[in-house]
Amino acid sequence: MSTRAPRAPAAHVLIVGGGGTGGALAHDLALRGLKVTLVERGELTSGTTGRHHGLLHSGARYAVHDRESAVECIEENTILRRICPGSFEENDGLFVGLDDEDMAYLEVFLQGCADCGIPTQVLRPDEALRLEPNLNPDLKVAVRVPDGTMDAMRMPLRFFATAAHNGADIRPYMEVTDLIVHDRVVSGAVVHDHVTGRDGEIHADVVVNATGPWSEQIARMAEVEVPIQPSPGVLLALRGRLCNMVVNRLHTSGDGDIVVPQRALSIVGTSSWTVDDPDDLDVPQDHVDRMVEEGSKLIPAVRQAEFRAAWSAARPLIGSTDESATSGRELSRTFKTYDHKETDAVEGFVTLTGGKGTTLRGMAELCTNVICGKLGIEAECRTRDTVLLPHTAHYAA
Amino acid sequence: MVTAAEATVARPAEAVQVDVVELAETRRFRVFRFKRDDRAPHFDTFEVPIGPRTTLLEALRWIQLKRDRTLAMRHSCLHASCGTCGVLANGREVLMCVTNVRELGREITVEPLANIPVLTDIVVDMREFYARFPDVHPYVRESELVLQSETPEGIDRSVRYEDCIECGLCVSACPIVATSDRYVGPAALAAAQRLAEEPRGVDTEDVLDWADHEDGVWRCHAAFECTAACPSNVNPAARIMALRGVLVGGRLRFPGRRGSA
Amino acid sequence: MSDATPGLEERRARGPVRRKGIGPSPSGWLDPRGRALGSWAFAVNRVTGLGLLFYLYLHLGVLSMLLAGESAWNGFLELATTTVFLLLDVLLLFGLLYHGLNGVRIALVGSGVVPNRQRALFWAGAVVGGLVLAYGALHILGST
Repeated sequence: MSTRAPRAPAAHVLIVGGGGTGGALAHDLALRGLKVTLVERGELTSGTTGRHHGLLHSGARYAVHDRESAVECIEENTILRRICPGSFEENDGLFVGLDDEDMAYLEVFLQGCADCGIPTQVLRPDEALRLEPNLNPDLKVAVRVPDGTMDAMRMPLRFFATAAHNGADIRPYMEVTDLIVHDRVVSGAVVHDHVTGRDGEIHADVVVNATGPWSEQIARMAEVEVPIQPSPGVLLALRGRLCNMVVNRLHTSGDGDIVVPQRALSIVGTSSWTVDDPDDLDVPQDHVDRMVEEGSKLIPAVRQAEFRAAWSAARPLIGSTDESATSGRELSRTFKTYDHKETDAVEGFVTLTGGKGTTLRGMAELCTNVICGKLGIEAECRTRDTVLLPHTAHYAA
Repeated sequence: MVTAAEATVARPAEAVQVDVVELAETRRFRVFRFKRDDRAPHFDTFEVPIGPRTTLLEALRWIQLKRDRTLAMRHSCLHASCGTCGVLANGREVLMCVTNVRELGREITVEPLANIPVLTDIVVDMREFYARFPDVHPYVRESELVLQSETPEGIDRSVRYEDCIECGLCVSACPIVATSDRYVGPAALAAAQRLAEEPRGVDTEDVLDWADHEDGVWRCHAAFECTAACPSNVNPAARIMALRGVLVGGRLRFPGRRGSA
Repeated sequence: MSDATPGLEERRARGPVRRKGIGPSPSGWLDPRGRALGSWAFAVNRVTGLGLLFYLYLHLGVLSMLLAGESAWNGFLELATTTVFLLLDVLLLFGLLYHGLNGVRIALVGSGVVPNRQRALFWAGAVVGGLVLAYGALHILGST
């Protein structure tokens, strides 16, 4: 906590976007004593955050081709288990090798994990089948990693609940229709309240754009650009809990190569393509078919499992929006804070984007440091060790 | 039952993109509308193009994006895991994201869940729902899957989330909740029974005391509407009866986790 | 600095509550749309309960006619042998059987003895009740 003499009223930060990013940011800012208002056009986590398969990432998937991301994931994985006890299915995960190509990948995979600090344990097929009897019986090897399952909505909700408890004003169903900008200074937002039907204004010292794949739409209101490429993928939910551990394919990221257990469902994912409008997502049939095809290579029972749902979710990938990114898989999964004073000479506006469900707290720490720097506030980050309130606290009157 | 291999998922977005000359199949939706500045709720009607696997949520999202941006709704996971998209469709409790519009008839009336105060349009304010629950109710439990499998070294037991996704469909369906604001309701009692069954560090006596109350387990009149409405196999009715069994007989007997009542 | 964000009090205030039912609020237990077997059983239980209560008062009222003398009572007996009245007797028998047998079902399920068999119990009771009702109806109506 800052030990300076009593100061002027706390600086006010307005966060636009109520996904995991916004929630974690509200929490960090509130802990450091800033006044926070967060607005979200729909229900919290109704953008991309709530829709992902719920993987608590070990980072192993990125250990070979995206080291920055892998290290972020394993660090945040450990922290999240500490600050959100009781929020995860903590059964670890397996990377399963099925053919010669997978086996050739094994060594570089293990090396990559070691380099990134991700613990691994190599298992023989019989050992793997004792842990997960539904696996493809022809598997050649399995590597155990500290994956887990998170509830994609309820885990982030703990951040919102704690932030609100610490004084943050969390407003779902409030949509930003424009930013208030004068002489290249952003001083707030014009909002439409979907609860009352009224319009209003919220003024703040800093406005943060935490809208994920919608970042471009908000950035345009301040006449700046952010290099966000919305990149959706298809996910499939099947009835039946086919595994306790997360089951991955031992190869470079591809379609349908993960099965995540969630309650009594099994989630198979995912695929990747790029779009312009994250609100206009279809669910291509061929992608669904591919999920089933690839997923049943890992767990044969996938093919006959009862269909529950199929949907798309748009990742906010950082990278240029030019032609080179055709599938989205080439772009990094890391996260970035853009202080638009530096990038575009627009004061009072910051964009925080990219990242994965697992890295929400780390993203917020980075961005909060930037914001505090802008406002001349000295306060240490305490989110690594602050245990969060249960998600039900969000609904306390 | 549709298996994964048989699943087909054409969406309304595809229907809208076709040439205008080709008529897309449509359904009429009557949607409950209420903003705080309104004197009273009213219904708005929309014609929405649909495909073979269009869900109720997708249809309403189409309305929100193409017809009326002020239409407020709750959703998050899109696969019956978060429990936020519960509504009344033609008077029946459903989760929008997994309800195919073709099951609902030519004209579909969409209203907010019953018995929970409305926040805006078809969104209910879940504070009263959660206020009924016992103070502590962990939502991770032992996994019953594949009990013959081993657990990885260093992990004592496999765990999974509780079945209950806190969607409120049971509370909306319960005829007793409809007539009593004090009854804690099926979701809360089911959570209490799960605690009695698998304590996870909670004091079982406290839980039973909490349930053993005229507005607790004894207020239920065995309508079983809650179990019929539950999208997640919680079987609250049987759990309420099992709690009664414990209180009456001092022994916990819950015959099986698959709801068959 | 910031203005207060709009609409705070309205958000906190309790909104309207949609109740099911065929009429004003306390009718929430009686709404035919979307009901499953269990809640039909419950609703009919309530209706028969109210019906039997009404019948009880009627019955006591009728018995009090005995105080009014033989001719009043004979007048009632004539009414009591008309077909309409006998049909109402059958209806009464149905009410008694339904309420009684469903009551047994509720007792078994509701005390946690057989919590998972409510549908099976209902149909078992329906069979027993149906047989007794048929037998009873034949005798009641056959007595004309």
